[in-house]
Amino acid sequence: MSRNFIDGNEIRLTVKDKIFCDVEFFTGQKFTDLEPRRLFPVSGLSEYITFLNSEGEEQFIIRKIDGMEPEQKKLLLGMLDEYYRIPKITKLVKFSEKHKIWMWEVETDRGNFTFEIINHIQSLKMFYDKRILIKDGNDNRYEIPNIYELDKRSQKLILPNL
Amino acid sequence: MIPEKLLINKPASVHILSIAKKQFKGDDSPLFAVTGDLDIESNYGESAVFVAESRIVAIGDNFPDSFISLDFSSIENIEVKRMYGNAVLKAKTVGGSSIDLMRFTFAMADICDAAADFVLKVKSGETVESRFAAVEASFKNLRSFCPKCGRKLPSPNAECLNCQGKGKVASTLLHYIKPYAGKLIFCIILSVITTAAALVPPYVTSLMVDSIIPGRDKKMLIIIILFLLFVYFMQYAIGALRSYILRVAGDGIIADLKKEIYAKAQYLPMKFYDKTSTGSVINRVNSDTTVLQQFMLRITQEAVVQLFMMFGIIIIMLSMNWRLTLLSLIPVPVVVFCSRYFGKKISPMYRRLWRRSVAISSILSDTIPAIRIVKSFSSEEKAIKRFGRHVDDWLSEDKRAAKIAAIFPAVITFLITCGSVIIWYIGGNMVINTPEKLSLGVLVSFISYTSMFYNPVNFFANLSDSYQNALASTEKVMDIINAEPEHDFGKDKKLDNLKGKIEFRNVNFSFDRSKKVLNDVNFVINPGDVVGIVGTTGSGKSTLINLLMRFYDDYEGEILVDDINIRDIDMSFFRSQIGYVQQEPMMFRDTIFNNIAYSVPGTHPEQVINAADIANAHGFISRLPNAYDTMLGERGVGLSGGEKQRLSIARAVLKNPGILIFDEATSAVDSETEKLIQDAIDRLIRGRTTLMIAHRLSTLRKANKIIVVDKGNIIEFGTPDELMALKGKYYKLIQIQSMSEQVAAQKAAENFE
Repeated sequence: MSRNFIDGNEIRLTVKDKIFCDVEFFTGQKFTDLEPRRLFPVSGLSEYITFLNSEGEEQFIIRKIDGMEPEQKKLLLGMLDEYYRIPKITKLVKFSEKHKIWMWEVETDRGNFTFEIINHIQSLKMFYDKRILIKDGNDNRYEIPNIYELDKRSQKLILPNL
Repeated sequence: MIPEKLLINKPASVHILSIAKKQFKGDDSPLFAVTGDLDIESNYGESAVFVAESRIVAIGDNFPDSFISLDFSSIENIEVKRMYGNAVLKAKTVGGSSIDLMRFTFAMADICDAAADFVLKVKSGETVESRFAAVEASFKNLRSFCPKCGRKLPSPNAECLNCQGKGKVASTLLHYIKPYAGKLIFCIILSVITTAAALVPPYVTSLMVDSIIPGRDKKMLIIIILFLLFVYFMQYAIGALRSYILRVAGDGIIADLKKEIYAKAQYLPMKFYDKTSTGSVINRVNSDTTVLQQFMLRITQEAVVQLFMMFGIIIIMLSMNWRLTLLSLIPVPVVVFCSRYFGKKISPMYRRLWRRSVAISSILSDTIPAIRIVKSFSSEEKAIKRFGRHVDDWLSEDKRAAKIAAIFPAVITFLITCGSVIIWYIGGNMVINTPEKLSLGVLVSFISYTSMFYNPVNFFANLSDSYQNALASTEKVMDIINAEPEHDFGKDKKLDNLKGKIEFRNVNFSFDRSKKVLNDVNFVINPGDVVGIVGTTGSGKSTLINLLMRFYDDYEGEILVDDINIRDIDMSFFRSQIGYVQQEPMMFRDTIFNNIAYSVPGTHPEQVINAADIANAHGFISRLPNAYDTMLGERGVGLSGGEKQRLSIARAVLKNPGILIFDEATSAVDSETEKLIQDAIDRLIRGRTTLMIAHRLSTLRKANKIIVVDKGNIIEFGTPDELMALKGKYYKLIQIQSMSEQVAAQKAAENFE
C-alpha cells in the first residue's frame, strides 16, 4: 500500500476539539476527526505530519508544514503544540541524589515542578543541537532547548552528567 | 459530604475541597477522587475529579463556576487521551460535545484510566462494588512506593530492595575483599618489610659519606656492601612473593565480582533490559570490574604501604634535622588543595568517558552479531563511519581527561621538586656554614629521604584520580548489583499437579505510562483448552504471554493459574511448568543435544532423541555428520529457521509442561516446514492447556477457543463457531485470509501452468 504524501497547500483544515480536525482537499475529498502527529517528533518538527483517523489509520502525510498557507499553518502548529506540549526547563533550581535516584526541582515555561529521574544513564539524552530531552520516573518528558543558554549553575549541575 | 477517608491519590487543596463540599451534600458523597497536577492549559497547577455512584464532578478554573458535574447517563464515552507530554480525561456527552475534564502528568494516568473505566462499566450495568474494587487496585498500585527512596514497590508494604544494606562505596567494596583478607594482610606484612628495607640504604649512605669513606675503613666498607646486598636481595625476593600472592588475590576478587554481576543480571526483570543496552551490561562485567579490582588493590595495598613509608620517612627525617623536615613538608597543603581541585575537575570527565565507551560497546554488540545484515545491505562503510564517529567522540573526551590527568601530576611534581631544590640550597648553606650541625653525609641522606618522601605524597595526590575513575565504575556495577531482582514472593510454593486453568482478572498493563498496552483484560481458560490468540500486530497478544510468563510483574489486577495468583507461586517452578516456543527460537553455542536438553540437564539421551522425534527434528539431526553432537554457532548459525524451530519444540517436549505457549511458531517458515512443525505441535498439545498466537489462522485449526485482541482490549472471546456467528473481527480476519489464500493458490496454479 503506498502512502499518500501531499503538500501542505492541498488541504484546508478546521480545528475541532484542540487536537482533532476536519480536513477538506481542494479536490473536494473530506475527512473528519483526524489527528495530526509528527512522524519525527524529535528530529523533524515541521516535516512529515501524518493524519490519523479515530481508528488510528493514516489517511495522508503532509511533507512540509512550511508549504501551507500561513493561517492553515498556524492552526496545524496549534494542534501539534497541544499534542506535543512538554515543559521546557529554564532553570535547575535544586539537584539532589539519593540511592541513585536524582531529584530535580526545576523552573519551566509551565511553572515550577519537582520530579525524579530513576535511571539517569538512560533518561537524559543530549543532541548535537545542544537540546536535551529528559524522561522522569513517571515517563513524563521535559526539554532543555539549549543547555548552554541556561544559567551557569544549572549548566554546572547538568553537563557533567551527560 | 466528602468522607474523611476518601480514596484519593493526594490531598486536595482547600480551594478544591471547598468546591467539592458544595457539590456533595448530605448523603451524596464521592467514592473516590483524583487530584491532577496540571491545569487545562498544561501549566503546573491543580485540578480534580470526584467520582460518585452515578456522576462525576470535575473541578478546575477552566469551567464556569470552577466545576462541571456530569451524570453517567449524560456521558456517551469517557477516556484518557494520552498525548506526547501529558494526558487528558475527556468526556463525550450524549449530545456529542467533547469536554476536557482534567489534564494531568502521566503519574496519574493509571488511576484516571480506572476512573474512566469505572464510569463506563457502571453506566453499562456492572455493579458499583465490583468496579470500585478495580479502582482500589489501581490506587494501591499507585501508592505502593518506598517512603525512603520513592521507588515503586511490587506490592503495598513490601520491603524496598533498593534500600536494603545501603552503604558507602568502601563498605560495598569491602564485601568483595573479605574472602581474600588473609592473603591481603599477608601481602601488607611483606610490603612493610620491603618498605622498611627500602629505608635502609639512604641511612647507610650517610655512614659511608661521613665516616667509612673519609676514614678509609675497608673492612667496614665490605661489611656494609654485603649488608646492602642482603637488604636488596630480601627486598626483591619478598617483593616477588608479594606480587604473586597479590595477583592471585586480585584475580579472585575480579572473578567473584564478574560472577556476582552475571548472576545478578540473570535475575533482573525484563524491564531492566528494556531500558539498558546489552553493550552497557557487557561493559560493566568486563571493563568496570577491572577498574574496581585495580582500585581495591591500590587501597588495600599501596595506600597502606605508602602511608607506612611516609610516616617512616618523616620520623627518620625528624631525627636527622627537624628544621629541614618542616621545610620539606611545605608542598603538602598545596598538593592536598590541588588534589581536591583536580578531583572535582576530572570526575565528570570520567563519567562522560564511561558513557562514550558504553556507546562504543553498544555498537559492537549491535553490529557484530548482525554482521550478515550489515553485509547484505552493503553497509560496511556506514557501520565503519558510525563506529568511527563514536570512537572519535570517546577520543576527544579522553583527550580532555588526559590533559588534566597529565597536567596535574606534572604541576605537583614540579612543586615538590622546588621544595627539594630549596632543601639543597638551605642544607648546602648549613653544611658550609655550620658543619657541626649538619654533615654532608646527613644532607645527602636527607635529600634521598626527601625524594622518597615525595613518592607517597605523589601517590596520595593521584589517588583521587583513580578514586574518581573507580567511583564511576562502582556506580555502574552497583547499578546492576543493587537493582531490584524479579520478585519471588511465592518462593518454595509449588503446586502438586498443575491442571492448567488460566484466569486474567481486571488486568491492566503499560510498559511506560505514556501508552497503555492492555486494558481491563478478563478471561478464563479451562484445563486442556487450546486457545488461539489473534489480533493485528501491536494489539497486545505477546504482552498477554509476557505477563503470563511473569516477565513483567507490575501489572494491575490478577493472573491466576489453577485459581492461585501466579505472583504467589515459586517463580522458577512456575516457569518450569510452561513450555514456551518463540517466533525466533534462541539457540546457544553448544551441541544440538545440549540445546535440546537445556531445560532438563542430565537428561538420558533416549529422552532427548524421543523429544526430537516428537518434534519432527530427529530426521534432519540424524542426517547431519555429527548428528546430536553437531556444534551450533552463535544463535544457532548452521540451521534453517524451521530446523531451529523444531529444536525449540523438542526442548518444550522434554520439559513436559502443564501449559504450552506458541508465539507465532510457524510464521517464518515455508508451507512444507510449517506442516512438519504443525504435526509436531499437534502431538505435543494433547491434554495440555495451550495458548497459540498466530497470524495464519489456518494454524489455529485445533483451537477450541479464540481470543481476539485489539488495541489492548479483548474484543471477542469464544469458540471459533461462536465467533464466526458473531460476524465480528474474527469473522473478518477469516474472510480476509481465505480470500488471500485463494488468490495465492490461483497465482501458484497459474505459475505452475
